Amino acid sequence: MVFRILVVKKPEYSARHMQRWAATLGLADLEISRAYFFETDSELPAPKRAELSAALADPIIEEASERFHTPAAYECWIAYQRGIIDNECDSIVRMCTLLGIEGVKAAKVATVYRSGDPGLRSAIETHCFNPNIEEIHDAEPLYDSLQPLGQYIPMRCYDLRALSDAQLESLGQEGGRNLNLRMMRQIREIQQATSAPYVTDVLLEAMDARWSDHCYHTTWKALGHLLQKLAQASRDTANPNIVSMFEDNAGVWDFYDGLAVALKAETHNGPSAISAYFGQLTKLGGVLRDILGAGQGADPVGVFEYTATGVPGTPSPLRGRPSPKQIAQETIRAIREYGNTFGAPMMWSQMTFHPAYRAKPFALGGCIGVIPKNLAQKGAPQKDDLLLLLGGLTGNDGIHGASASSAGAQMDSAAVQIGSPLEEVKFRAAIMELRDAGCIRAITDVGGAGLNSAVGEMGDPCGVWLNTALVPLKTGGLPMWRILLSESQERMTLAIVPEKLALARAILSRHEVRHKVIGKFTGQGRYTVIHDPSFDEEKIVNTDASQLPRSGEVGIDVPFSLLKYEPEAILPPEAPRLPTRATCWPHWTPSQLQAIVPELLADAEIASQIYASMQYDSTVQGRLTYGPYFGDPYRARVPTSFWAAQLIPDKPYASLFAVSFNPWLFEANPRLAARQGFLACLNKLVLAGSKLRDICLCDNFYTPHLTHDWAYWLVAMVEEVAALVRTFGAPVISGKDSSAGSVETPEGIISVPPAVFFSALGKANDFNKLLTNPWRKAGNLLVLIGPGCASAAGTVAQRVLRLPGNDVDEIDVDSYREYLLALERLDRQGVASGMPVEAAGILGVAVRQALATGLGARLELEPRELLMEHRCGAILEVSPPALSALPKALQPRVIGEVEAGPASVRCGDVELLTPEAIRAWRDSFRRMLE
Amino acid sequence: MTPTVNVVYFPGTNCQRETLRAFERVGAKAHLIFASDLLQGRSRLDSADILCLPGGFSFGDHIMGGLVASVLLTHGLKDQLANCRQRLILGICNGFQIAIRAGLFGPHVTLTWNDCGTFQDIAEQPHVVARDHGTPWLRGLEGETLTFPCAHGEGKFIFTSRQGWRRVLSYPAGANPDGSMEDIAGIATADGQVFGLMNHPERALHRDANLQFFENGVNWVRS
Repeated sequence: MVFRILVVKKPEYSARHMQRWAATLGLADLEISRAYFFETDSELPAPKRAELSAALADPIIEEASERFHTPAAYECWIAYQRGIIDNECDSIVRMCTLLGIEGVKAAKVATVYRSGDPGLRSAIETHCFNPNIEEIHDAEPLYDSLQPLGQYIPMRCYDLRALSDAQLESLGQEGGRNLNLRMMRQIREIQQATSAPYVTDVLLEAMDARWSDHCYHTTWKALGHLLQKLAQASRDTANPNIVSMFEDNAGVWDFYDGLAVALKAETHNGPSAISAYFGQLTKLGGVLRDILGAGQGADPVGVFEYTATGVPGTPSPLRGRPSPKQIAQETIRAIREYGNTFGAPMMWSQMTFHPAYRAKPFALGGCIGVIPKNLAQKGAPQKDDLLLLLGGLTGNDGIHGASASSAGAQMDSAAVQIGSPLEEVKFRAAIMELRDAGCIRAITDVGGAGLNSAVGEMGDPCGVWLNTALVPLKTGGLPMWRILLSESQERMTLAIVPEKLALARAILSRHEVRHKVIGKFTGQGRYTVIHDPSFDEEKIVNTDASQLPRSGEVGIDVPFSLLKYEPEAILPPEAPRLPTRATCWPHWTPSQLQAIVPELLADAEIASQIYASMQYDSTVQGRLTYGPYFGDPYRARVPTSFWAAQLIPDKPYASLFAVSFNPWLFEANPRLAARQGFLACLNKLVLAGSKLRDICLCDNFYTPHLTHDWAYWLVAMVEEVAALVRTFGAPVISGKDSSAGSVETPEGIISVPPAVFFSALGKANDFNKLLTNPWRKAGNLLVLIGPGCASAAGTVAQRVLRLPGNDVDEIDVDSYREYLLALERLDRQGVASGMPVEAAGILGVAVRQALATGLGARLELEPRELLMEHRCGAILEVSPPALSALPKALQPRVIGEVEAGPASVRCGDVELLTPEAIRAWRDSFRRMLE
Repeated sequence: MTPTVNVVYFPGTNCQRETLRAFERVGAKAHLIFASDLLQGRSRLDSADILCLPGGFSFGDHIMGGLVASVLLTHGLKDQLANCRQRLILGICNGFQIAIRAGLFGPHVTLTWNDCGTFQDIAEQPHVVARDHGTPWLRGLEGETLTFPCAHGEGKFIFTSRQGWRRVLSYPAGANPDGSMEDIAGIATADGQVFGLMNHPERALHRDANLQFFENGVNWVRS
């Protein structure tokens, strides 16, 4: 039976932020309560029910009751849909057990909104409800059970030998699959090669996922094995810092004292377009697992997050999808909840508003982790190693997520994964113990394409046998292919050394991590998936790998050698014509510039994003760090140009991190924008104190697939990056390609610009000698260094003032190498600080510095020069005697002087940092999202 | 004599390592003890001189921050918790929430969502030590301003009576990140032995004053 307890906030303790929020909805009398539903075997005795009520409510500020004490004309009840497990369920049931209340089988939480206003339903439906995963009711829902339903459905079999091409094609697309005719023909060849009477839906689904862009980089292969080009360029650098590259869940870079640092970034664009909350939640969860699954298990020590969506206030071009504003709001909530709960500090975060991302956002998350260098290579399972699944339950969520990565917007809500950070926190610490105890032979995360990808990759070429009937489920049952493909989150698969199984189980139990042996590595080179409930965990443990049965239903039993796929080559595209529109900067007077500064500073690329960044924990783990912000949080806090941390307590060694991305620049010229992005990352880290040879990068390509020139630009960008890698000796050690950035909408095809996001990792042997950003002292000179970028392309000024210009500056790589080497050798004596130039150009640097340090700046430049974004240059703060020591290769140019406070930015005699400008900088981002 | 500290790990705790490091830096022998071991009798809550409830999101902060862990302590380990109450107890962030919900500071105090409604991340949050704090944890720091990170969402301190607890740390005027009543940033029991605060001295051990905070607890045991 199901019963319910309400928890209502006492009016005198109604939260201020909720009152403000209710006012913005126009529902001044809005009441928000929680309803807890419990399913028990029998009716709970009254005293137990009272005890449970007392536990659920904070006695000072809340009240638990059976019913509402005051009537309300309108109600809305929102809860997760029946098939979705409420993350709080486990904890609620656990609490009941601790309270001595036995027999609680399941729990569910609903949020109840009440008001006298007839607009309640509309307001809540618009702002608080996600129809893809939640249900909404105008009155209390009546549940007869809280337990998810579901059943096993026998596999379906197809004899492909008799099918025509048209029938093959149709079968390949059935049920949301994305198998094309070429792929289906290859599956038919598998059937013929194995002399099988049929193939199963399990094999079809497995190949659909295996050959997807997400798992197989199909588009990149078709364009001439682009990934291999990048990897070869990186190998050609022969950089001795490379520990592992493009062969594991993350790239690994050498650090100091026998440690290495793993780096990975990944996107979750499709799911985030459907449910930004769960899409972004699982984005971070997924990339954290990539780090946990690198080598024998790396420990995450920092995360970063970037999201580009449409302009807040504009609608989604697709009916039923969240608007850009909702995506932005849900992103902040998701990143906060996952990142903070997991306990990895935020290294950098940024949100961009650009119309090209209004149909499908750019949802990128990344992570770095520490691992002993001798454990940093990808593990290889051996015959008789046990296949252990640990972490969350497997459910009907995230189906076809991987193959949908190849399919633009054609995703359904089942493709959205449901995240639960608590599970991942638990197994994070456990994995480190398993690693150090020598239990792990190989490890990988269960992400895109679920167990099929994780187990399939681990088992190739050794061979693996898997019984899906043993996989712990969220539901009453699932078809075999869904168990195999589910992208339910917070799961890892491990190859456990057989003799260490007991120890591994003890460690996992102590950490309260759910785990189960679901298969074994066979040494037979075959991928075997069966569904046989009678062949249990202990039978697997006690059966020799060569004797494992093909019992129950056999979904797949194929040699790995038959699972290779070569996509049809896409012919090298011709260069598109790119009409050049020359930049034309207006000749403003300082007073004219003063008038437009507030509008410039309101642009989200330069405006304070503290409203979001303040919500992300940047200090957890207690390391000595520099960044991600500087300045007084109660006055003005601004982003640092790099993040650094002392990764080894009491040792001076620093790990450095920086990023670069500007979608407007990619709109103008993707190849040159890629060059600027790559060089900007190097510039940030060398300026901070890393040697050029100590820097590696991670690339995340996000490109359209329905524009006429997408293939050309993708190839051009990859070739550009490969050339830069060789020139600078800075390898790309990790990355990911998302090649489905076009969406068909009622207003036409909306495509993201062809683009690549760079994140970079460096190192330095003395944390205390890093060149940091904040201005130090009045009287110091401000010196611009590096190549100039005079083009208006991609600048804040261009989009705010609608300036012409797509003539992206072509930085000369040879002279830039000389610049970086000079910067690397620079005697830092007399250099007080350094700040790369980014959004809003020199003005942007000066404004952020002045607000954060309370000092002033007098700038001796033409007003238009202040807005040029010299992205590969920087502004040094230099004591006057040290000026002459700056080498010519830096191209130094004095542009002004630091002045005593209060905070000011003067151009000639005109103050640019007016109260209106400060308000615009401080408030515009928050206002866009409120 | 080397003072011992039990740092409790609940599912979802995520500040255990820096907390262990803080106590070890000042000469204590710090042990991580698992909730699962406690419930199965493989270890005891009261087997050390100091009990520390560290920060994190025990049980995912489900229902409300610290609630499920507090029920675990008060219902599953009631006698052991009572023994610990005779010694020193420190609750940091989620550990403070657990201590409050477990009733260690009496029935008149609670913590709820910050006034701004969101998590607050402030690396350099100032805190002023009360001159009459009466707790061994802050001995010698009277009137000083300690700077360490603020990182919490459910940290607004509310009280309905001053019975059973005392203010020991405050936010300076204009620098209250969560809306706590009377700018209260940390409290102790009337006898001073149980101390709780939302913010994180264990994350800023490069500042001597923060280290002294842990040293005080350890020295009190030695004395």
